[in-house]
Amino acid sequence: MARIRKIEIANFRGIQQLAWCPAPGINCLIGPGDSGKSTVLDSIDLCLGARRNVQFSDADFFGLDITTPISITLTLGDLDDSLRTLESFGAFLRGYHATTGAVEDEPSALAEVVLCLNLTVASDLEPSWTLVSDRAAQQGIVKTLAWKDRVALAPTRIGALADFNLGWQRGSVLNRISEERADASAALIKAARDARSSFGDQAEQQLGEALGIVTTTAQELGVHIGAKARALLDSHSVSFGGGTISLHSEGGIPLRSLGVGSTRVLVAGLQRKAASQASIVLSDELEYGLEPHRIARFLGSLGAKEAAPMQVFLTTHSPVALRELSGGQLFVLRRCANGHEARLVGADDGIQSTIRVYPEAFLAGSVIVCEGASEIGLLRGLDLYRLDQGSISLAALAVALVDCGGGDADRPYARAGAFQALGYRVMVVRDDDKKPTPAIEQAFVHNGGTVVAYRAGRALEDELFGSLTPAACQKLINFGYDLHGDLIHEHLRTVSNNTLTVQAVWDEIQTTGALSVAHRATLGQAARTRKAGWFKSISWMEDVARTIVAPDLHQCNQGFRALVDQVFEWAAHGPR
Amino acid sequence: MGPAEIDLRAITRGTVTAPAGCGKTQLIAQALAGHRSSKPILVLTHTNAGVAALRGRLDRAGVPTTAYRLSTIDGWAIRLISTFPGRSAHDPEILRLAVPARDYPAIRDAAWRLLQAGHVSEVLKSSYAHLIVDEYQDSSVPQHHIVYFLSLILPTCVLGDPMQAIFGFRGNALADWNQQVCTHFPVVVELTTPWRWRNAGAEVLGQWLLEARRQLAAGQSVDLRSGPPGHVTWMQAVPPNDHAQRLAAAKTVPPTADGRVLIIADSRNRAAQQNFASQTPGASTVEAVDLQDLMAFCTSFDVHSPDALGQILALAQSVMTNVGIAELNRRLESLSRGTARNPPTEAESRAMEFLRAPSLATAIALLSDLRALPNVRVHRPTIFYGVLKALRHSSTGTIPLVEAARRVREESRLLGRPLPKRAVGSTLLLKGLEAEVSVLLDTEGMSAQNLYVAMTRGSMKLVVCSASPIVG
Repeated sequence: MARIRKIEIANFRGIQQLAWCPAPGINCLIGPGDSGKSTVLDSIDLCLGARRNVQFSDADFFGLDITTPISITLTLGDLDDSLRTLESFGAFLRGYHATTGAVEDEPSALAEVVLCLNLTVASDLEPSWTLVSDRAAQQGIVKTLAWKDRVALAPTRIGALADFNLGWQRGSVLNRISEERADASAALIKAARDARSSFGDQAEQQLGEALGIVTTTAQELGVHIGAKARALLDSHSVSFGGGTISLHSEGGIPLRSLGVGSTRVLVAGLQRKAASQASIVLSDELEYGLEPHRIARFLGSLGAKEAAPMQVFLTTHSPVALRELSGGQLFVLRRCANGHEARLVGADDGIQSTIRVYPEAFLAGSVIVCEGASEIGLLRGLDLYRLDQGSISLAALAVALVDCGGGDADRPYARAGAFQALGYRVMVVRDDDKKPTPAIEQAFVHNGGTVVAYRAGRALEDELFGSLTPAACQKLINFGYDLHGDLIHEHLRTVSNNTLTVQAVWDEIQTTGALSVAHRATLGQAARTRKAGWFKSISWMEDVARTIVAPDLHQCNQGFRALVDQVFEWAAHGPR
Repeated sequence: MGPAEIDLRAITRGTVTAPAGCGKTQLIAQALAGHRSSKPILVLTHTNAGVAALRGRLDRAGVPTTAYRLSTIDGWAIRLISTFPGRSAHDPEILRLAVPARDYPAIRDAAWRLLQAGHVSEVLKSSYAHLIVDEYQDSSVPQHHIVYFLSLILPTCVLGDPMQAIFGFRGNALADWNQQVCTHFPVVVELTTPWRWRNAGAEVLGQWLLEARRQLAAGQSVDLRSGPPGHVTWMQAVPPNDHAQRLAAAKTVPPTADGRVLIIADSRNRAAQQNFASQTPGASTVEAVDLQDLMAFCTSFDVHSPDALGQILALAQSVMTNVGIAELNRRLESLSRGTARNPPTEAESRAMEFLRAPSLATAIALLSDLRALPNVRVHRPTIFYGVLKALRHSSTGTIPLVEAARRVREESRLLGRPLPKRAVGSTLLLKGLEAEVSVLLDTEGMSAQNLYVAMTRGSMKLVVCSASPIVG
């Protein structure tokens, strides 16, 4: 078995340059559409696959520029002894440093022994697979892998048409799970003979007239065919090619008639059994045809929860799949200024829990990191109202919301920074009652992040009661009363030292048509009573935002409206 | 312990002491024949001749070539460092072997340093299952270093016999058997069955030689009169008749019709060896692999030089018996003056023809005619036929004579040499060769090792010429 330690792609399809050191186990590529994920899988397949002829076209060259050759180099480690002998591969054995990803031309005591396999396609479109090393090039030594080695190294592709692997065709995983080979030839030849003899008499009855004419004509012309012509099964037409033998259920139904999902799960499982021989698996759009629970099984059988039993390259757009994987198995593939980059999601900064709870965020283009549940609820509610009004939803704009769960004021930036490092466009929405460390926020902004904070020292409840129209404020109080009953009277009395009651607020609005700044502040404070906030849950705040805040925005305080507009403006201008 | 009971592959670090003729090569062949792993066993020895001989033995024993990789230590070292030039960091010039005396030591040093650094350990573990080194007593200190560091990477078994260590000369310090070799490769077993003599029906001679080896190893002398009668013959050689006595010994008749005789003369005196070959009917010399005289002739020979004929005749005289060069010269002189009474013989005509139209082709014809003269016998066939071959290669005009000679030399180095039925040489030249009879013309000045090697060349009979029956 072998593992790919490094992948270098140049001028292949949409990828001008990529150098990536994948993990020894699962490598799941995520990233925006057309970012080249499938191209990476195809590169591996083309470079390492055992195919005698591969068709390339001008369209396979980056930017259709056929003057710059396509070059795909795979650095292979964990090699079988037979692939790293002095006599056969001496001049091509190199050293790979896992910590730096550097490949040295010769092995060293501190590096892993590796081979570099290169596929080059120049303008003549003829692919050439060779092993590469600087010293061999200097000495003019050229070497290709023997066919049997290429067959051994060839990755298994679990594609949409995985049923290929359910028969004993060449290259099928069935040939890898055991050394047994069925020899059907003798039985088939006998069957063909039997068929021939038993069919012979029938044919004579069915074709009697024609046979009679043939016999007479032949006799007239003196062509010797014996007493009479016979119609027999042509022995050449009863022949069986490779792949004659395939898997069937107990009832005799071919397994390739199973559903797409079952086929793929089964083939993945078989591949797992064959991992000791061929250890590299490719699967594009891994979720294809699979229900959520089968995605988990599929990944499980590929070794997602084990210590890298085989190396797997996947792409996915499924949050369900992400949730089953760890940050060490996820790579974000992005187009950058000078080529492509594959960045490890990793397990730092609580990112693992973010994968579990907000997998969608990793599949989005823009991420809004919300300080707490209130902010999530607010944005969701506003989003739903806008959707009702005919706007495009945040989800459709490829914007994902991530909850930080409150706590320390710097926490959102840790999470936002992790997304930022992976190349996502990130916004932080936070309240201002507890301020973050200025330097941390500045660094975030410096790296291209956007911050939307409530105004001067306010929490969300302060903003709502401070900004909305008196009528909307009444609705807020009613909403709170419906949820919490008399508790909210108590909260108001407590924070106002018995100077303000709901009734007083009602009277004020009734008589003046307005609500004083002082009373608004007191209401805000009461609404965010510690551990008993009136709207402190995602769904409560979502309802508040959708039914009270959003319809009031056009007539409320313009400063608050500007904050909300900033969020949706930003969302509307991201990468799709 | 018989060879069948020893499996070299079971020895992970150790020495098998193997006195001459005790089945060492058989042991190696058995180990390789029984080897079924996908990784081959690396077998190293010292000389190309050793490689050729061992390969022949293994082929005859039907050992599959996939079971082993066979090379000289130096050849393998060259391959190793040239595969990893960056890690080895040697001067690339040394691989051209322009100055062997300087380059080989540099190659060996580079090789053991590369092994010591550990950069290639994984590669070697992947490449070989085991290491077997033959003729280990001939290992120089740097060669021992190479094997030492290899033994830290691969299970290693070395075979050798300190009593056959005769290659320590000219600054080629051998690894000390007890201090260096046996401390790192502890002796696992010493072979004690004299297979070569047992198979020849002369086990009593074999046993006596093992006893003689023990005495020589202990620094004692051997009394030739104690040898088994009929197998060991002592012939006293004392002046002034010693030369005639030695010639008589050289004519010893082998006990079987197709038996071969090895005649061992003074190693330091090549002229004496050639002289005995010339004077002993049916004898020819064994030449050193560098084929010095072939190279010397081909380097200096120039068909257009005034002395070209002289060079050819001098060569002819040095490799053939009874050519009668003095007489020939006299005849050529009178023929060219036109005073000769008898018409020229065929050879004389050829010589005249060469003088008129000197060319490589006429030189070849002349040498062939001289060879065909009555009573003429080639006693140095390797040189004579080597020169002819080089002349023929070069006469097509494509390569210079020196280059042709070099190719002849390399070819013979790789192919090894066919053993004449009666061969004259030294212990150094005849080591590794076997015959039915071994004749020692002179034991004077021979070390215990040289003496032991010389005495063990014959499987049926040993003849020794010396002043005293007590030798060593």
